[in-house]
Amino acid sequence: MSVKVGKKAPEFTADALDQGQTRKVSLADYRGRWVMLFFYPADFSTV
Amino acid sequence: MGTEVLAVSVDSVDTHKGWQEKELSQMVRGGALFPMLSDSGGRIGALYGVYDSDKGLDQRGRFLIDPMRIIQSMEIVADPVGRDISEALRQLRALQHQQATGDYMPCGWEPGKPTLSKEQSQSGDIWKEWKTRHAF
Repeated sequence: MSVKVGKKAPEFTADALDQGQTRKVSLADYRGRWVMLFFYPADFSTV
Repeated sequence: MGTEVLAVSVDSVDTHKGWQEKELSQMVRGGALFPMLSDSGGRIGALYGVYDSDKGLDQRGRFLIDPMRIIQSMEIVADPVGRDISEALRQLRALQHQQATGDYMPCGWEPGKPTLSKEQSQSGDIWKEWKTRHAF
């Protein structure tokens, strides 16, 4: 496991679909905000 | 709660778009209200320890990250089982309450239930405040 509770969240940037538009999203964009980051296996599955 | 939600899978942005149009928009008017990230090759999943390289998929991991970028909670559930959003929200409320007040939230805490001061939480006197019924 490369992450731990109480330690810094790894930074990342990725292409994202947001409100119908494609844009780059970085964790750094949300500095000063709480973030719920969740992963799921695949589109067309449950979440 | 002022919290941003980010969804991540290994699917491409085009596949996200197809899923939005075919299925998500049937469940929620206008589709997902938060960004859906494309984790090409499981790069982000690997950073967070949830990328399954045998399947080439990200597992159902969920991380609560505070404003200082510190991970405050994490959960990983096996693929076939969907999640309980209410528990994630309860943890978020408890963490935000903790950061605002310094209080500790005992087992089963939700808004309205008693909290403990840091001293109380280590004093051996928790039983004076916390009753078994508070766990449920």
